[in-house]
Amino acid sequence: MEFTILFLAIAIVMLVAWRGPRPLAMGLFGVVLVACVATYLHHATDVLKLSF
Amino acid sequence: MTQTRAIALNALSLYALAGLLAAAFAAQLLLGELPCPLCLLQRVLFATLAVGPILNIRFGPRPSHYAMSLLAAVAGAVVSSRQVLLHIMPGDEGYGSALLGYHYYSWALIGFIAAIVLLAAILLFDRQFEDDGTTQPVAGGVFAYVAVWLVIGLTALNVVSAFLECGPRACADNPIVYELLKHGS
Repeated sequence: MEFTILFLAIAIVMLVAWRGPRPLAMGLFGVVLVACVATYLHHATDVLKLSF
Repeated sequence: MTQTRAIALNALSLYALAGLLAAAFAAQLLLGELPCPLCLLQRVLFATLAVGPILNIRFGPRPSHYAMSLLAAVAGAVVSSRQVLLHIMPGDEGYGSALLGYHYYSWALIGFIAAIVLLAAILLFDRQFEDDGTTQPVAGGVFAYVAVWLVIGLTALNVVSAFLECGPRACADNPIVYELLKHGS
């Protein structure tokens, strides 16, 4: 469900960037990017079997 | 580089992103393999990369628009790097089928790094930021117009695909069936 929302959100951001005001598009872009990072942190829970 | 040429390059980058999204779709449909959560996130971030070029085409090239795409590309590189590292151990066959020798997340990492390099390279050309009076309100003509709607259309198709795959719940770590189609049959 989270990815459906993310795809929908970025499609809306693209439409705003193409048709709407520039500051709104940039603000919505920031919100979507933060949501992507949050989704990444939620899913990146497997332990990496690596040694650095 | 003039503003007009920079806009043409931005339109071209949208076609490249549309090609990436279409290739991911083709692999999903032809090979019958559902994308994992990190694979879906990489697709989202490829789509996010497109916002900067769309703004450049509509409002003219600005460093802030390129910065937006750079942030998206770095986030995409982090996500795809993590998936590469998850499958880097000897004996691990990776997730899904390999295309031309590399899995989708390896291609995604190459794509995001290429995007970072190309964005840095195009930022070197200062003349594109001088208004030549030809880009308002929307520049690029049919070539750019089609590119924008192509990438928006492919993102909309991903909305439908992700909803069919995951349904109203959180996406499975290793999806094997479309959740909504399973309940419907």
